[in-house]
Amino acid sequence: MDVQAASGDLQRRTLAHLPRPLDRLIYLASMRDYNTGMYYHDGLASRFSQEAACEALAGCHQEAFRQLLASSIEDLVGQLAAYRDSSHLDPAGFLALWRGLEPYRIAVPAETDSLSVDFLLSNLKIALAILEDHPTRRPTPEQGAWPRRSPAQ
Amino acid sequence: MIELILFLFIGIGLLVLLYALARRPTRHEGTAQALVEAKHALRTLQENLLVEELVERIFDPVDWKYVASAAGEPTKDEFLRDRKKIALAWTHRVKSQILSLKEYHFRHSRFYSQLNPATELSLAFSFAALLQQCRLLQLLLRIGGPYAAPALVGRTAAAAARICAASEKSLAFLTPATAGSFGDRSPEDGAAVL
Repeated sequence: MDVQAASGDLQRRTLAHLPRPLDRLIYLASMRDYNTGMYYHDGLASRFSQEAACEALAGCHQEAFRQLLASSIEDLVGQLAAYRDSSHLDPAGFLALWRGLEPYRIAVPAETDSLSVDFLLSNLKIALAILEDHPTRRPTPEQGAWPRRSPAQ
Repeated sequence: MIELILFLFIGIGLLVLLYALARRPTRHEGTAQALVEAKHALRTLQENLLVEELVERIFDPVDWKYVASAAGEPTKDEFLRDRKKIALAWTHRVKSQILSLKEYHFRHSRFYSQLNPATELSLAFSFAALLQQCRLLQLLLRIGGPYAAPALVGRTAAAAARICAASEKSLAFLTPATAGSFGDRSPEDGAAVL
């Protein structure tokens, strides 16, 4: 019950301001300790409990991954363009870094099926290549609208 | 003399048979390992490989149409190569999980669940047909690429889902009882079921 409340709180206060699944995936992955796999969010833990906050963050991370997995490559190109624009970095530098370091690889939730991971990583790689070919591409307003309903809902 | 030779052959044949039986790896019929593997295969199929959205995304040509119109030749080639690899990996994994379920059904399930012979026969036929479909799909994907057999992909996923539903019934006894079901069986005097 606490986890549901924590999840609702997280979605209202934080994730509602991140309109695209890619933004949410990167944000939620940054809440995870790479050594322990545990998620930390001080505000959420103080309102609920560390365990509830951790579970809520993990659940939302999985949900963001599922939504990104369901995005078409065209949609992914739009999401990447929007993410690049919001970073206020040099577009060419951003793309070179993302294609070289592939930082999205470590943004995948734990215990995700390997086929889903391979599929998403391949789609992101292709989307980055297209974005590099068309650096001026802009996202359309409806891309990555939040909240989306998961198939389970 | 002929009879002696005949009996000798029969004797040698029986000895060879005995030796083969003795050398056969020991199978612990009905072990927990078989149950765990079957349950894992069922979960992998139902929660990952057969999720409708994932299957549609892998095999839907809409991505290819977009990539063909927006990307250069190297990216198009890379996309088709990657997508073919993923389509083949999906088929291979569905096939291996189905094989795992088949193994459970034909070696172990009789120890845990009572399926009537007609159901067992129909299940055996379904397993055989599905495995043939997977092999055919792998061949078509290898030859024609990821979008070569959309109808067969749909039929394979549907057949695998039907087998999962049948397997779920025979593995139902492994599903833990929910708090609600414990509550339903609580004595009327309000004693707690611990």
